[in-house]
Amino acid sequence: MVLEGAPARGNPGYRAVRSLYIHVPFCFHKCHYCDFYSFVDTQDRQEPFVRRLIRELQALSPWAAGEPLRTVFVGGGTPSLLRQPLWTVLLDALHSHFDLSLIRAGAGEFTVECNPETVTPELLQALRQGGVDRVSLGAQSFQPGHLKTLERWHDPASVARSVELVRAAGFPRWSLDLIYAIPGQTLQEWLLDLETALSLSPSHLSCYNLTFEPNTPMTRRLQRGEFRATPDDVAGEMFQVTGERLRRAGLHRYEVSNYATPGQESRHNLAYWRGEEWLAAGPSASAHVRGHRWKNIPRLGDYLSFDDDGFAPIQDHEIPDARRALAEDLMCGIRLAEGVEAAPALARAAALDPRAPSRLLSEFRAYEAVGDLRFDSGRWMLTDAGFLRADAVAADLIGALEAQPDEDAPVGQDAEER
Amino acid sequence: MSDQQPHIRNFSIIAHIDHGKSTLADRLLQATNAVSAREAKEQILDSMDIERERGITIKASAVTVYHHHTPGENADELESEAAAASGDTEAAGSGGEDVRTHGSELYMLNFIDTPGHVDFNYEVSRALKACEGAILVVDATQGVEAQTVVNAYLAISQDLEIIPVLNKIDLPSARPDEVAEEIEQVLGIDPYSCIRVSAKTGIGIPELLAAICEKLPAPRQPVVPQTRALIFDATYDDYRGVIVYIRVFDGRLRLGDKIRMMGLQRTYSITELGKYTPKPVKVKELGPGETGYLVAAIRNLADVRVGDTITLETDPAAEQLEGYQPPRQMVFCDFYPATSEKKGNDFEQLREAIEKLSLNDASFTFQPVHSEALGFGFRCGFLGLLHMDIIQERLEREGGVEIVQTAPTVSYKVDVRTKGGEVEETEVHNPADLPDPSHIVDVKEPICRVEIMLPKHFIGDVMKLCLDRRGQYKAQMFVSEAREMITFEIPLAEIIYDFYDKLKGMTSGYATMDYEVTGYRTDRLVKVDILINAEPVPALSFIAHRDRAEQRGRQLLVRLREEIPRHQFEIPLQAAIGGKIIARETIKGFRKDVTAKCYGGDVSRKRKLLEKQREGKKRMKSVGSVEIPQEAFMAVLDTGE
Repeated sequence: MVLEGAPARGNPGYRAVRSLYIHVPFCFHKCHYCDFYSFVDTQDRQEPFVRRLIRELQALSPWAAGEPLRTVFVGGGTPSLLRQPLWTVLLDALHSHFDLSLIRAGAGEFTVECNPETVTPELLQALRQGGVDRVSLGAQSFQPGHLKTLERWHDPASVARSVELVRAAGFPRWSLDLIYAIPGQTLQEWLLDLETALSLSPSHLSCYNLTFEPNTPMTRRLQRGEFRATPDDVAGEMFQVTGERLRRAGLHRYEVSNYATPGQESRHNLAYWRGEEWLAAGPSASAHVRGHRWKNIPRLGDYLSFDDDGFAPIQDHEIPDARRALAEDLMCGIRLAEGVEAAPALARAAALDPRAPSRLLSEFRAYEAVGDLRFDSGRWMLTDAGFLRADAVAADLIGALEAQPDEDAPVGQDAEER
Repeated sequence: MSDQQPHIRNFSIIAHIDHGKSTLADRLLQATNAVSAREAKEQILDSMDIERERGITIKASAVTVYHHHTPGENADELESEAAAASGDTEAAGSGGEDVRTHGSELYMLNFIDTPGHVDFNYEVSRALKACEGAILVVDATQGVEAQTVVNAYLAISQDLEIIPVLNKIDLPSARPDEVAEEIEQVLGIDPYSCIRVSAKTGIGIPELLAAICEKLPAPRQPVVPQTRALIFDATYDDYRGVIVYIRVFDGRLRLGDKIRMMGLQRTYSITELGKYTPKPVKVKELGPGETGYLVAAIRNLADVRVGDTITLETDPAAEQLEGYQPPRQMVFCDFYPATSEKKGNDFEQLREAIEKLSLNDASFTFQPVHSEALGFGFRCGFLGLLHMDIIQERLEREGGVEIVQTAPTVSYKVDVRTKGGEVEETEVHNPADLPDPSHIVDVKEPICRVEIMLPKHFIGDVMKLCLDRRGQYKAQMFVSEAREMITFEIPLAEIIYDFYDKLKGMTSGYATMDYEVTGYRTDRLVKVDILINAEPVPALSFIAHRDRAEQRGRQLLVRLREEIPRHQFEIPLQAAIGGKIIARETIKGFRKDVTAKCYGGDVSRKRKLLEKQREGKKRMKSVGSVEIPQEAFMAVLDTGE
């Protein structure tokens, strides 16, 4: 991927990209709800993958322009499935192509997603030594029955065990992923999962409403009638009690599905939601750089066989115009508890269309009137109830950026004069 | 009047729909040789497509034919002969030579076609004003129907001589004796005076012509020296402008005369004077008792009022012929362009079509309106329900516009106390315009006299229907062994919804009804406001009887609850009278509308998804923060219950 105006080291006008996402596609089992690019690697292509990934990281490195990275996130797939020696090679390469000093100093964030079943003290040691300072564990549920519904095969007890290992390995931060509104799950069962998670004293939790993504086995099973989706109002209640329970435990909802004690928010994810830039490596990884969005080709075979000066072939390349860029920022920003800053948003809207700010304001006010938004310290933000309607709010904010056909209405004026 | 002048007979044909009025008119024209059989196009007098398709005569026309009749002789032996056939009609008009031949006398028959439906009551009664007699046509297979009765009453009330005609006697199912008895029962007309004809085969036509000449009275003698002519119809012609149909009562009208319309106080010069035979034939003058048309460079149909009196500018009459009153619009509804997408163009197209049509029909009114739901359109007033349907159809057919029509409402008379304390009467035909209840002294609604002709065994059901619609029983009349006629007074507002459909449904189509607005009556009428999320929506307000307000309010809210999609929040729906809530429903809020995950790679996809979602919302109108789909407004406006 070569962009116009590629950065040159030392070019003072260039704004460095400070975040990096790396996708590791391997899984030992494909979970039924997952729509990320991942697969069970039967050919053992871990080594060629890491070699190829390193070439890509090298190609991407000029974009950091010598500035230290703030955040790195390795997701998947199951990154913890990558064998420990390969991890060491990868981490070494990362250090040689990027400046990880900020992260090393504890002022950044380097997260690796791990499966509770596959973390070993050796792996954790290697990660920690390589600068990783945060581990995200996919717990999903603590009840075997619900894990089975998700086609997720791990022993619930392994979560607590792996948390212990993570702590013992000296990771200052870790997080758990949980899923609720699993078919058949009751509100009480979900609350029990939350209690179990809280008993591990996490500083960060991600609690996702199970989503039936298109083309996943889970969705096909739903369509076949193997189970019924949790009713919306039950799922909504689960969402509400999650917020209330976690708040009492000191974890605040800082994004629709993410909770943390103050200061423990995922900095990498915040970069996404705040519309910042990031580089991406690995099959299917998405990047956002200098107003461009793109995605690496998803298939591992293609990723391994094409090598454009180290860059991966890309797809879905898009240069959002000013309206879309603002739309995306509003859409992502409003999902955060901190919300969106009103003044810059209105200024950007005004640049699109002189009437857009008033339309935007009236949308804000309409949602304020029904109690879904509130205005505080110059920012519009969702209320507790409003979080449940984040999409509707986002859709209307986006809509407000478009010219309304009714506004011109020359016919109407004419008719009224008659 | 010299006896060289032909005898004049002015008459109309009145009938229930499909009883053969137009066929009979054709047959009379043929019998008088006004048109040859070859020329005879069915239903000559009706020129508009819709009329022919619906079998309804909408616009009245007047046709003059000539007929030789020997008084006292058996009509069978008479040979009809038209002086018009000689080609020189002007001679007949100005009275040149002796028109008697072989002892027979020449009759000028002016027959004035009327719209059959009492929606066009005003036009019917004006047309009847121009006549001395009426031919009442009754289908011998069907019998007396509601429209027969209402039209006959109109003619009787105007003191017209009535010739009852039993038509379709050639059909095997004809039962002329029974039907003649029905005519006697219901209308008090001598059954032996009924002339039995078949307009289709021509049976009885000579007898009918003889009766027209002998039984119908001659026009009255002039009563003032000045010229007075009644305008009984007007049509618009692209080339000549307005064509005014007139009946001269006193004095004469001559080509070139400067005339004055006494009601509207406008003056014109006659540029063309003539008669339809049925082809237009120009004449130089029209004398007392004659009917014909005039053209006077009148550009707009609105400049002519049916019922107005024409006199001469140089020697004007002191008084008009009859109390002139403009046609009353009784039923109102809105027309909107059907497609909301490119509504700008469509609105223009609709306006053009309406303006063009108004040149042809001055009896409907229109003014631009704007609706929350439907954008820009027109609020139109009509003489009745059928008139409304016809206008809509003509707009769609002739104007090429697709129309969304809202539910009809009636015109209320409201006494309002003004700030000064006096009571003023205003007319309200849009529920939203009804003033605040505290200012209202009285609300009066149009009341109809409804005649329903029906098979006996349905009487119970139909009576119940009428009473349910706030009807007041007036009379029940024996028609025949099998049929009865019942008369009710029912508020027009109760009829305009689905009364007719209900009646037809419960009687398997056998009942016929007709109605005539007879006056206004005070009732406990209230405006019901609909509040969505505590905001009143004027487009949904309606006027109802106080006793039914709750029920109708609730029904409407239930419909709205079905039509308005769930929102992110709970939406209260309320029906209220003044400030008082009389019914309530709730649209439960969506509990959630949020995607669980939105990470780096999801942004574009999700934005597109939301944009798509937004597209769907565009087709709705927002009232406060509630999005109401157009269908909700339509469903509500459509519902009669």
